[in-house]
Amino acid sequence: MTRRERAVSLLLFALLLGGWEIAARQLGLSALVLPPPSRVAQALWQGLASGYLWPHLGATGIELLLGLAAGCAVGFGSGVLLAEVPALRRQLMPYVVISQVVPKLALMPLFIVWFGFGLAPTVVITALICFFPLLETTLTGLVQVPPAQLELFRMLGANRWQTLLRLKLPSGLPAVLAGFRVAVVLALVGVVVGEFIGASRGLGALVIAAQGSMDTPLMFAVLTLVSLLGLLLYRLALGLERSLLRTYTTR
Amino acid sequence: MSFLALRDVRFGYPGQDPVVEGLSLELAAGEIHGLVGRSGCGKTTLLKLAAGLLRPIAGTVTVRGAPLADRRAMGFVFQQPTLLDWLSVRDNVLLPVTLQRPPGSNDLLAADALLSQLGLAGYSQRHPRQLSGGQQSRVALARALLLKPPLLLLDEPFAALDAITREDLQVDLLRMCRAQGSTALFVTHDIGEAVFIGDRVSVMASGRVVRSLAVPPDTARDTPAFGACCAALRAALGLTGVAA
Repeated sequence: MTRRERAVSLLLFALLLGGWEIAARQLGLSALVLPPPSRVAQALWQGLASGYLWPHLGATGIELLLGLAAGCAVGFGSGVLLAEVPALRRQLMPYVVISQVVPKLALMPLFIVWFGFGLAPTVVITALICFFPLLETTLTGLVQVPPAQLELFRMLGANRWQTLLRLKLPSGLPAVLAGFRVAVVLALVGVVVGEFIGASRGLGALVIAAQGSMDTPLMFAVLTLVSLLGLLLYRLALGLERSLLRTYTTR
Repeated sequence: MSFLALRDVRFGYPGQDPVVEGLSLELAAGEIHGLVGRSGCGKTTLLKLAAGLLRPIAGTVTVRGAPLADRRAMGFVFQQPTLLDWLSVRDNVLLPVTLQRPPGSNDLLAADALLSQLGLAGYSQRHPRQLSGGQQSRVALARALLLKPPLLLLDEPFAALDAITREDLQVDLLRMCRAQGSTALFVTHDIGEAVFIGDRVSVMASGRVVRSLAVPPDTARDTPAFGACCAALRAALGLTGVAA
């Protein structure tokens, strides 16, 4: 972004917030329906300063990281396995697809029955959501290695393990990282919605609690936190991608 | 005794007509052999048979009289440079070594020496995408030459380059082959290129070698002898030139 664009972007943000503030005040809307941004900021600040929000943020963060790590690890591992063993791929792909077309959030009540209330079901649902994009992109990335490069490795007498580690994985890395970026965003959805139903701690649970006590400014404050968390994770994923792929794109 | 010999080789994919049939070709040690033919006549298949990437249905492929044992004794240059984008130029050149063992300091020296002989002295830490097409082809050539293979197989390696760069690379290739004493089988669809590089040139048509002729030594471009060779090859390919 150029400096000019940055200025325009800041101005746009200020205009949006200002418009919201004025509309909320002028239309005489109750804070129960649409609190002005100043009220939201106040609620957010109070929540953070009093320490009320931190345990919830921590719980969501931990669930998110555990779910993301588990889902990505299993997704990546299965992607590699299915890419390397075509027979297995043909046998198992239908089950993978079924596991994904079932609306996963609808499984949450079942997971509560299985895993109880709290951390475990939320982590499971987050992992289940992250799993698929990683599996898909890993599989695609490894299968789409240019045939000429595979021939080169055959020609140089590389064994299967070397071909995987030194050709297929590096060649598929951009696809895998694109999948990771998608997984990060989906993980946040998974964790918050999981907490809606299955937890008493965490930002998702807090949204439900705020709804119960008609505390709309708090609800907005929590949503702001969730968005910031998502933005941060997305940025981190993007940064990881850039640093790992630097050698792929240097001109 | 011939260095590389293909005798009565037949190859085809199941359920299709054979791509090559009754194909025989012999290369003497140190010979640079050009192979021309129309596209689809089986040139690349022949090269892959010689490399052992494909197995013949019938006939034999031998190197120094023995069946193919070690593919590492061959250098192969593909139609495209086929470099790995994530590796530096030097690591690309070192690939044949690093797939076998950790590279030693003499390997690094060999790689850098090859690069500088090919005019890429300052480029060893660059990445393939930072190079021009001609430079990428040079890196691919250096990679094929790293282990000083006695046999070099080249599949239209310069086809995608512009005419000027191509002539530069032809000179480089010839120089490197002579310096290493390599035997080379060079597939091309460019008659002039085949005559310029080859000691012998064979013509392939519909899956077999139909004509093979020796190029007089030290045939420079734009000489009558060069022109005569090209004309003979054109005739063998069934191309009718404009009547003089």
